[in-house]
Amino acid sequence: MDTLIFLLIVLTFMAMWRGKHRAAGVLFVLALVAMLLLFRHHATDTLPISL
Amino acid sequence: MNAFRAILAMFCILAVCGVLLGAFGAQLKGDMPCPLCILQRMAMLLCVAGPAWLLARSWKREVDAIDYAQCYGASIIAALAGATMSGRQVLIHIAPGDPGYGEPMLGMHLYSWAFVVFATVILVSGLHMLALPRRAERLPFAGASRVVVGLAVAIAALNMVAVFFEEGFHLVLPDNPNEYRLLDDLGLRGDDAQPASSETPAP
Repeated sequence: MDTLIFLLIVLTFMAMWRGKHRAAGVLFVLALVAMLLLFRHHATDTLPISL
Repeated sequence: MNAFRAILAMFCILAVCGVLLGAFGAQLKGDMPCPLCILQRMAMLLCVAGPAWLLARSWKREVDAIDYAQCYGASIIAALAGATMSGRQVLIHIAPGDPGYGEPMLGMHLYSWAFVVFATVILVSGLHMLALPRRAERLPFAGASRVVVGLAVAIAALNMVAVFFEEGFHLVLPDNPNEYRLLDDLGLRGDDAQPASSETPAP
């Protein structure tokens, strides 16, 4: 999951570089949402304090 | 003024990239990043994506206030997410006597530095948006900005490879990572290797 999110971030940068700004925006939002979902998993499932 | 805006965008990218390289250096010295640390690195890279996006837009056309607002707005959103994560990790270790996770660097733990970085990103992005251009302008230093954005891409790719080594073929990272699980998954580690233990404090 972490590796895939980093892959999304790299793809976001590559899309920006190539001028595909709409694709970059979509990838940015996807990476952000995936990151927040992973944070929710780590915050509520594996650490002693729940949100 | 457009030169100042271009330099400020490049400076934002370089400053966050410096922090990411410092964290990567700590990892190379054996301080394995916990899952929350990895999440904060992701958020920092997404913060960098804002000014990088602005510079990338300026390579092909003039940029206007809408471009500035979209790019720095994206940075602020990413920084808010990152500040939530690093703030949570600070709160986990805020009790007196808690040694914290990992070794301190320049007097503070990496997650405390991360919180400072995210707060600074929000502050600088807000200040930047107070001085938006009134008309579209072309940003100078296109060559230098390509090098700076290329550095950010390289750091993102480097982190992706490092996390792949740490995570292996598993869905998520362990709470207390102390080895590169990809080596175990591929059977490249010897039998005398130490299994994952919980001696280090949880992140």
